Amino acid sequence: MKRTPWFFRLLLRLFPAGHRRRFGEEMEAALRHRLEEGGRGPLGWIGSWSWAASDLVRHALGMWLARGRDGMRNGLGSVWSEGWGLDLRFVGRSLRRQPGYALTAVLVLAGAVAVNAGVASFVRGTLLAEAPYPDADRVVLAWGSNPRDGQLRDVVSGPNYLDLRRATGSLESLAAVHVGSAVLTRDGRPVVRDGLRVTPDFFSVLRVEPHLGRFFGAAERSSRGPASLVVSFEFWRDELGADPGVLGRRLVVDGEPRTVVGVLPESFHFLRSASLWLPLPDDLLAADARTRIHYHLVGRLRSGANPGEATRELSGVMAEIAGEHPEVRGWGILVERVQEASVLGVRSVLWSLVAAMGVVLLVALVNLVTLFRIRTLGRTGELRLRQALGAPAARVARVLGMEGAVLTGVGSALGLAATPWVLGLIRGRVPEWVYVPESALRVPVLEAVLDPWVAGAMIGTVLLAGLVLAGPALLDAVRVRTSLHPSGGWASSRGAAGTRWLVVAELALATVLCVGAGLTARSADHLLSTDVGLEPEGLLAVWVGDVGDRDATDRTAYYRRVVEAVEELPEVRSAAFIDYLPFLGEDDFAGIDILDARRERDRELREEWRRVGEGLLETAGMRILQGRPFDSDDFRGAPRSAVVNESFARKHFDDGEAVGAFLTVHGEPYEEVEVVGVVADLRTLGPGASAPPVLYVPQQGGPRGSQGLLVRTEEGREMALAARVQDAVWSVDPSQPMAGMAPMSTMVDAWVAVPRAIRLLVMGVAAFALVLAAVGVFGVVGYAVRQRTTEFGVRVALGASPERLRRSVVLEAVPWVGLGVGSGALLGVLAARAADALLYGVRPWDPWALAGALGTMVGVALLAVWLPAQQASRVDPARVIRPE
Amino acid sequence: MHNIAEDHLPLKPRRHLALLLLAEEPTYGIALMERLEARSGGRIRLNAGSLYRMIGGLVDDGLVEPLEEVAAGVGAPRKHYGVTHLGRSVLRAEARRQADLLELARGLDLAGEVE
Repeated sequence: MKRTPWFFRLLLRLFPAGHRRRFGEEMEAALRHRLEEGGRGPLGWIGSWSWAASDLVRHALGMWLARGRDGMRNGLGSVWSEGWGLDLRFVGRSLRRQPGYALTAVLVLAGAVAVNAGVASFVRGTLLAEAPYPDADRVVLAWGSNPRDGQLRDVVSGPNYLDLRRATGSLESLAAVHVGSAVLTRDGRPVVRDGLRVTPDFFSVLRVEPHLGRFFGAAERSSRGPASLVVSFEFWRDELGADPGVLGRRLVVDGEPRTVVGVLPESFHFLRSASLWLPLPDDLLAADARTRIHYHLVGRLRSGANPGEATRELSGVMAEIAGEHPEVRGWGILVERVQEASVLGVRSVLWSLVAAMGVVLLVALVNLVTLFRIRTLGRTGELRLRQALGAPAARVARVLGMEGAVLTGVGSALGLAATPWVLGLIRGRVPEWVYVPESALRVPVLEAVLDPWVAGAMIGTVLLAGLVLAGPALLDAVRVRTSLHPSGGWASSRGAAGTRWLVVAELALATVLCVGAGLTARSADHLLSTDVGLEPEGLLAVWVGDVGDRDATDRTAYYRRVVEAVEELPEVRSAAFIDYLPFLGEDDFAGIDILDARRERDRELREEWRRVGEGLLETAGMRILQGRPFDSDDFRGAPRSAVVNESFARKHFDDGEAVGAFLTVHGEPYEEVEVVGVVADLRTLGPGASAPPVLYVPQQGGPRGSQGLLVRTEEGREMALAARVQDAVWSVDPSQPMAGMAPMSTMVDAWVAVPRAIRLLVMGVAAFALVLAAVGVFGVVGYAVRQRTTEFGVRVALGASPERLRRSVVLEAVPWVGLGVGSGALLGVLAARAADALLYGVRPWDPWALAGALGTMVGVALLAVWLPAQQASRVDPARVIRPE
Repeated sequence: MHNIAEDHLPLKPRRHLALLLLAEEPTYGIALMERLEARSGGRIRLNAGSLYRMIGGLVDDGLVEPLEEVAAGVGAPRKHYGVTHLGRSVLRAEARRQADLLELARGLDLAGEVE
């Protein structure tokens, strides 16, 4: 059966419900019949459609009218028509008479509810969500922390972990995790997967149970133990075909056959999801140097213990270790709940959103009350008439209350319906992954959905606030006394003044938000325009997996051949290797000695270092500030030169004069090197954070298996090149595992995503508040103008020019607008001072932000005054004065 | 004695014709709509809104009732309507009323070509 066009289905809804129930389907059939026989061609089509439509409208109205007549005739017969039903129909009619008012009120409320429910759901879903482990508030991360060197949240070395594990006062257990990747060889092809290496107690710390098989046990504590492997549920399902007999199957990981002993539960993740989980044996941990830091530590607090106690206890252990091993002096341990650590990166965004949302809700409610009051005041005459004709005050209040309830109900329902969309909008602006501040750890931002609790709380708040705020207006209406006035009656001046104060409050609140938005935008601009230290556009970053067991000379030759093969591609301008790609949050430290520098001699100096291939600084587009970059001679023979970054030069040399200084690097084959140049800092900890000191030395042999390759090409063509770069690498060695590629711009973007998100969201919220405030001003001034129509008419009749009338209306509003915007600006600056930490590079009284916010507010407010003023100047004196 | 049927008099032309057609043969909405148009020589053309407002009125007044059996033809089942006992009384009363009027008109030689 064909469907009835939606337009006609809509018209059918005009009929009384009972009639639709009885005849709805048949009417649709008859309608389709008429439309189909309606003739061909546009004329026939138009004729049959307009006939059907007018027939429906006419008879639907006819039926309602007939009903009304029957209702009157039956008098008190029906409770419905006499009581609530009649009131409801009355409310419907009076709202239809002023559709602008009804639409504005519904949209204001819907917008406020949608924004608030969206933000609240998002905050509940991310900030307040439980981590997915039993007793999650006892699961903690223990960071290596060296605040004096600016390393607040760092990893810990193997031997230090083994010592820390023995401290059992506040911790039940402590496990070590190595976040990295693993090469899986299947059908002879190497593929790189996310891989985590964990000590066997990891799973008991999190209290996770296997989906299949078992996790690691005592046997895996030694590297001579079984070569076991645990896989994620998703890997088992997608790549092992959800094989129930998977246990005992052998997979080649990092070149070694391993036996699958267990499958993790579905969607299990710790800090990130990984496909392959390998054991981290104690002897491997013990064999490392105390300064080779690699491991994240995760522990479970004893019940009743808190992170502060654990921090003190573990830092005490570190101090003891430092007694025997001076190279770790200065390092303590910072213990944080895993839940808190995972939201550190987005907390500022979320709280600023929550604050903004609270103000918006307030603005919206004040706005609604203003509208409601204006409407009630405008109906004073009608309400008086009703009371004069014997309607009890309670009945008048009931009608007004019902009108409020209808508007609130429709507005809230629309708002909640739009909430998923707002949630999607927020979700799309907040990055999927955020870095834990001051650490190399990236954690996912959890998904959020509209929460029934939030929805319920939202409706409750709106109703309660509506009742509290609209109460005075209702009382006003009821108090209207029965003095019938021929011209329709006037609002008490007290009522009108009250409305003006409401608008002043609304303007002030909106100005606070605008000032906030201006400051946020300015600080985001500062952050986003901060030089990251390289030219990300046109730079392709390639992760190249382990090159296998070549010796050092072999590796050097191999890297050279790979660079040559890639540079042969016509679009490639240059290519170069680096041991750790920047902006991935990885770090690597070397012990160094600086000769003749202002430094403390009480402990070994450790700084980040990078071993770079020939042409790396040029390929990356890093700016040389002093001296020279590496030249090809620096890569021949034993390494004798080094380049340092700005932070390094500032930290270790008077006046930052580093060129010409000599350093000793503790690490084969580096010995004494001369600083030949200073490069600009890479803002690898985000644009707002200070950059760590870094030493760059020529790569010799490449002690690290996996490498980063930077390829410079045309802007925007990075990924188009990806497949050919891969082929070029494989043309040198087809067994070379490739871990992935990404344009450097996306990696840099990850760092600025949070400030960018704050800027967008706060500005969106402020724009909404601005619209609300404009609606409020427009409503109040428009009302005042309507009330004074007679006066304007008389003035026109006496010869006042339209220009003069317009000016008088605008001038009367100026003090109110000025008061609202001025007090809002003051409050905004005070609020910004309180939230100073969220600003970057701007002061709370930043003149540009203030001028922008005030200019926008005053402009919009004056426009909202101007439109009714225009109306005042067009009053027709003849029409207005006649009734008088 | 008060005749309930006379409360419904006079019948409007379209109501009258619809009742007569349904008395002739119970049928469903669309068919009634077509037959009204054919029998009135195209003067009574109803659309969905007017047709069912009329049928609804006839049902509410107890002159017409939906029939139990629903004819299963091609397509969706169609509800048929038939004239009630009261409906037939109303038709008879209307016919009598019009017959009286016709008689009067004939006496005044105003009946024209009516037989």
